[in-house]
Amino acid sequence: MSVNTKGLIVTEDLKKYYRNGEIKALDGINIEIDKGEVVVIVGPSGSGKSTFLRSLNLLEIPTSGKIFFEGVDITDPKTDINMHRRKMGMVFQHFNLFPHLSVMGNITLAPIKHKIQSKDEARENALRLLKRVGLLEKAEAYPSQLSGGQRQRIAIVRALAMNPDVMLFDEPTSALDPEMVGEVLEVMKELAHEGMTMAVVTHEMGFAREVATRAIFMDEGRILEQNTPQELFSNPQHPRLKDFLSKVL
Amino acid sequence: MGQFFENLKDTFVLNFIQEDRWKFVTEGIKTTLIVTLCAIVIGVIIGIIVASVRSTYEKNKEEYAKRGGFGVFLLKVVNGICKVYLTVIRGTPMVVQLLIMYYVVFVSAKNGVPVAIAAFGINSGAYVAEIFRGGIMSIDHGQFEAGRSLGLNYFQTMVHIIIPQVIKNVLPALCNEFIALLKETSVCGYIAIQDLTKGIYIIIGRTYSYYMPLLVLAAIYLIMVMLLTWLVGKLERRLRSSER
Ligand SMILES: Nc1ncnc2c1ncn2[C@@H]1O[C@H](COP(=O)(O)OP(=O)(O)OP(=O)(O)O)[C@@H](O)[C@H]1O
Ligand SMILES: [Mg+2]
Repeated sequence: MSVNTKGLIVTEDLKKYYRNGEIKALDGINIEIDKGEVVVIVGPSGSGKSTFLRSLNLLEIPTSGKIFFEGVDITDPKTDINMHRRKMGMVFQHFNLFPHLSVMGNITLAPIKHKIQSKDEARENALRLLKRVGLLEKAEAYPSQLSGGQRQRIAIVRALAMNPDVMLFDEPTSALDPEMVGEVLEVMKELAHEGMTMAVVTHEMGFAREVATRAIFMDEGRILEQNTPQELFSNPQHPRLKDFLSKVL
Repeated sequence: MGQFFENLKDTFVLNFIQEDRWKFVTEGIKTTLIVTLCAIVIGVIIGIIVASVRSTYEKNKEEYAKRGGFGVFLLKVVNGICKVYLTVIRGTPMVVQLLIMYYVVFVSAKNGVPVAIAAFGINSGAYVAEIFRGGIMSIDHGQFEAGRSLGLNYFQTMVHIIIPQVIKNVLPALCNEFIALLKETSVCGYIAIQDLTKGIYIIIGRTYSYYMPLLVLAAIYLIMVMLLTWLVGKLERRLRSSER
């Protein structure tokens, strides 16, 4: 088993092809994300942002390349990916809450099934986290009874309940009504300030400028430019990035 | 008018009271219910297994292609067997399957009931499998991904996240399958089982009166189907109430 002791997440020449290489969703990604970093990923539609994020916890199986998480090559078929996924929280654009379970059920399912916590401990932990995001009174509600912003905050809590070492966010506010974006970003900002390592695909430039330690621009499956968010957005070098920013700003 | 009711009563007495002929009806109902209920249980078990194999294979094809190994090869073979099973069962008439089961597979069987249970269970399993597979495939893929991203393995994700949602979704289709199965058991007579239909047939053979036994036969099936529908409806409401 190859071991890498550098960053929390390191990828080496990560590639993901579809249709026998006709579509190069990821075309050689080399990146190192250190503990405590908040990395924001931007880029045009179809540039491979989601594929990259989803490769990090192997929801997509890379065509080639390596991914080291906490020093272990998780692309090695011999590693137990479920053990590593416990340490990588993921938040989806469409929340993906479990509709047949209450908020409490959603949050405590994984910690209880993994026997990380007893039922009581898991519930206590869930209540503590719910309080933090201001949804304590929704503990027994079902997802269908919640607004989009509330659902996404619950989804974040569900991921946090596993005590992850890194949180992956794939456009967490894109499916929300504008007036609900703020409440979700607020929770994410708080997480960032507490030192959580985060990788966030988002179009929220304000969020990026405020909390990101690094911003990455992707296009056609590659990282074309990376810098502090201030520099990347105010002083773009690559023509593609200039073009992209002129469209979104 | 009085004459009419007098006739009705006589026919009833002739067909069901004389020589205790009602026993053909009660014994028949018992046999029909035993065959149906046992076949439902077998069918659901087979159905869930086949649907799990098929959808596991379909959902993880990509990953398996990369991983290889004996386990994956085995799954591929089992998946192939399941496909053949579905094709053959759904492509041939139930009566033919029943006859083959009785006269070819279990040649030495003395009692037809277990043979019928096996035949109907295996037959129903194919339809239940397709219902479940459709149900599993209709669940938003994001549900799988959310489960897996929390570190639950494939099996845990299926048991705790997917299957509970599938059951709720497929209950109406399952109910239809159970009703079809109940009615289909009326061909049991082909292998000398005295189910409800056969019992009524025996009565007709002795009394030579047709209309009343046949109408009673239809009415009893109807009542059994309505009971089954009511039961499933109750279950459905209970499942739904847990969500809201
Ligand atoms: N399952 C798949 N099969 C074939 N092609 C795919 C598949 N998933 C993604 N792709 C392709 O891979 C490329 C990258 O997709 P990806 O979803 O990562 O882009 P993205 O940057 O997240 O885009 P968006 O901003 O629209 O979410 C696209 O061209 C997409 O069409
Ligand atoms: Mg995307």
